[in-house]
Amino acid sequence: MSNINRRTLVKGSLAAAIAGTALSRFAFADTAEPILLGVSGPLTGPNAQYGTQWKQGFDLALDEILAGGGINGRKLAYNFEDSQSDPRQSVAIAQKFVSDPRIVLELGDFSSPASMAASPIYQRAGLVQFGFTNSHPDFTKGGDFMWSTSVSQADEQPLLAAYAVKKLGLKKLAVLHLNTDWGRTSRDYFVNAAKEYGAEVAVTEGYIAEERDFRSTLVRVRDANPDGLILISYYSDGALIARQARQVGLKQVICAASSVYSPKFLELGGEAVEDVHVGTRYFPEDPRPEVQKFITGFKKKYNGLEPDAFNAYAYDAMNMAAAVVKIGGTDRRAVRDAFTKVKDVPSVIFGAATFDVASRRVKGAMNAELVVRKGQFALWDGKPT
Amino acid sequence: MSSWLDYTINGLIVGNVYALVAVGLALIFGVSRLINFAQGSIYLVGAYIGWVAVVQLHTPLPLTIIVVAVAAALVGLIIERFGLRPLQNSVRIAPLLATIGISFVLDQLVMLTFSPNPRALPSQLPDVRFQVGGGTIGPLDLLIAGVGLTSALLLFVFLRYSKLGWAVRATAQDRDAAMQMGVDVNRVNQAVFGIAAALGGVSGMLVGMYYNQIDTAMSLQATLKGVVAEVVGGAGNVPGAIIGSLLLGLVESYGVAVFGTSYRNLFAFLLLVVVLVLRPNGLFASARQAPPEPLTGTFIAPSRPVRIPRWALLVATGIFAVLPLFPVSFYVLQTLINAWLLGMLALSLTLVAGTIGQVSLGHAALLAIGAYTSALLSLNLSVPVGLAIIGGGLMSAALGTALISPSFRLRGHYVSIATLAIGEIVSLVILNWESVTRGPIGISGIPPLALFGYELVSPISIYWFSFIVMVVLALLQGRLLGSHLGRSFRAIRDDDVAARAYGLSLNRYKSLAFIFGGFAAGVSGGIAAHLYSYINHETFNTQQSILALTVVILGGLGNVVGAILGAVALVGLPEVFRVAAEYRILIYGIVLLLLVRFRPQGLLGTM
Repeated sequence: MSNINRRTLVKGSLAAAIAGTALSRFAFADTAEPILLGVSGPLTGPNAQYGTQWKQGFDLALDEILAGGGINGRKLAYNFEDSQSDPRQSVAIAQKFVSDPRIVLELGDFSSPASMAASPIYQRAGLVQFGFTNSHPDFTKGGDFMWSTSVSQADEQPLLAAYAVKKLGLKKLAVLHLNTDWGRTSRDYFVNAAKEYGAEVAVTEGYIAEERDFRSTLVRVRDANPDGLILISYYSDGALIARQARQVGLKQVICAASSVYSPKFLELGGEAVEDVHVGTRYFPEDPRPEVQKFITGFKKKYNGLEPDAFNAYAYDAMNMAAAVVKIGGTDRRAVRDAFTKVKDVPSVIFGAATFDVASRRVKGAMNAELVVRKGQFALWDGKPT
Repeated sequence: MSSWLDYTINGLIVGNVYALVAVGLALIFGVSRLINFAQGSIYLVGAYIGWVAVVQLHTPLPLTIIVVAVAAALVGLIIERFGLRPLQNSVRIAPLLATIGISFVLDQLVMLTFSPNPRALPSQLPDVRFQVGGGTIGPLDLLIAGVGLTSALLLFVFLRYSKLGWAVRATAQDRDAAMQMGVDVNRVNQAVFGIAAALGGVSGMLVGMYYNQIDTAMSLQATLKGVVAEVVGGAGNVPGAIIGSLLLGLVESYGVAVFGTSYRNLFAFLLLVVVLVLRPNGLFASARQAPPEPLTGTFIAPSRPVRIPRWALLVATGIFAVLPLFPVSFYVLQTLINAWLLGMLALSLTLVAGTIGQVSLGHAALLAIGAYTSALLSLNLSVPVGLAIIGGGLMSAALGTALISPSFRLRGHYVSIATLAIGEIVSLVILNWESVTRGPIGISGIPPLALFGYELVSPISIYWFSFIVMVVLALLQGRLLGSHLGRSFRAIRDDDVAARAYGLSLNRYKSLAFIFGGFAAGVSGGIAAHLYSYINHETFNTQQSILALTVVILGGLGNVVGAILGAVALVGLPEVFRVAAEYRILIYGIVLLLLVRFRPQGLLGTM
């Protein structure tokens, strides 16, 4: 093993030499060089749409940060590497980022297999992996360099269950969920909470992400005779299920998780998503200043486009990264320590985000109970549908 | 009872949707004996052209259908003329690879033009619903069924009563004889590709309207289901493809009814395997029909392998062995680690696909079996990592061979389809067998690579470890190819009838090849599991299987050095093209097409 140690030493000193030259260059042009963040995420492949939404959220946040004077006078920028959400590519990207001395923090990846495969590399190299959509309960257990602002499903699902059971008065539920780590974890938290609130869960059905046809699943749902359908879905599959439920004649109340919150849900679902209830973290008329700033800014930058949940996660994540780098500077370890120090960062999702140091996650997501009325998301007025 | 009626109706409705793709695939297969993996991409292109017509140009439905059909037919003609015709006289497997490359290019072009966000494609039909059983059907269901049946009928009339139709059938029966009789085979191919593409485009548009949703991920799914339906019905048989699709829809629907939604595709692929094993030519192939596959040997044409002098191999091995001593970045090392892992998989596949002629499209399943076995052994039973990886290899060899053995009697394309199905079945079993595999949650906290108690965590040590394992496997395989056993493998590939007449037991030799190949793939999967620390059912997916086959064909079938060279090229190229950001997969697809065009026998040739 001494052999390897010597090589590591040689490499280490080499890296130090490279870092040294880089540093001296920084010293030379301190304000010109931007502070660089690495982003590992899908820009091509089956999850490409989410990478595109991240970019929109990031870019808006960066514009605002720059307008506010940047990070102590320096510009913040990111280097987005396409991983296709493939673990083989995300590990290579991880090595690329950790050996690039300019990168102070990494954001992503999107899917759990891609993110968690890269975690050991980030952990060993001591570069923070900030996984802002990683709700997998084991993500932050990868080490003290793994941090996440993804809403914990232990937090979110009881809120949805309370909406469905306590507010809407549903007593017998059918739960349809994406059969992924996220959907599965969410389902378990939801079912537990719903039972605690006194509802019965008549049937749960997990479906794979590529599924397009839900008619037979909905016959199973119908035969279980529930009084409400719970969708733990993304917007595209959620819209498909709602449409087909109405087509096969199911008239029950539909209540969906916040991940369907997107103008695309309305576009894809059409009339079928009318009266669908959605538990979300923010809504367009939300009077909170951070929400209004986000929505007006987003519409202005993207020609009137309504932001969705993934845009909001990315926007929040970039603002959080800026707040952390402001405290931690460009030293990677100091950046890690800064995560324990940031307090009450304005956030669309959390209102004010502060990390729980033990779990390395943020608790206390905001809650808004919406319903689709006349093809728009509106705050639920308490009237039954 | 009424529920069963509903399940039946739902099965027929979705089968109806599958039929549209399956008919196009069957037509092309009937004439050119080619599984067109680009059919799903034409379907995707049709859906987006439909979107432009409906949403931007506000065309009425009949005009929309005509616009989409004409535009998609044009795409089909371009594919035929520039993608496939130049490959006419090359290895049989080259066009197959070309269609995979073309589908990459088309999918990427659509994604770049329209962004990957899903779009709504509103139906232009009145929204009335008819009550049938407990559910309803709409006018679009009827239109889809109408289009499916009408096109089948038109095809029947065309094939039976028109001169070009006769030419198509003559070409399908015997290409050379047709040419001798003065049939313009190119024109026939053109006609077939045009018709199949028009049908594919219209079906993409109709299915998009049906779900009010189109996105760039719909292409691969459409191809998969279409291929299953087509093969169940009997490859190349148009009415069979329609019945096969309906049957597939029914089996899926009843599968959901009995076991639940998460088992749906499991039944689709089980149906395929059962049909293939019991009736290898599909349910509706007549006994009189000439075998729809060329006898083995014409599928993989022999070519002169490039002889690489021993010293050059030694020098190359030496250079890669000492590479970490030089100041190369960890990123380069990690990329090469990925290449070595893919190289082990390619060694495995080049043995079963190239040397013995069983072209597998489900090889990622062997990775998954090895990875899960190794991960679970080390986590649950605290087996040392080194031994656990070997255990993964052994399990992959045993289980993989057992799973594949029912399809040993199949030939040519049918082996590929059966292995594709087995690959999907393994992934779905992993998803559903929660008590062992932890289902969708996956396995996290897998211990890092270790050898004799020392953890291998630095990229340098992992590099050396994976490189040595790969080199050892490659040397063993090289030794195997030179032995009597290797010659027997090749004899079976080149002419299984002659091999059998000579007294070789085909099944035994095929098993031996899968045992050795399964071990190499399982070891690769095991190392990957400990490298990633987290795996779930999505880690080793169909794309991996297709990538592995691409590597093997690119390197030259059966060629050990070629497999490794191919792995380095196909891991390296997308990384090199990183500067091109969103365009990199497009460039990769084009490079792949050019390679197939100019070196169809692979970089180093078939061994």
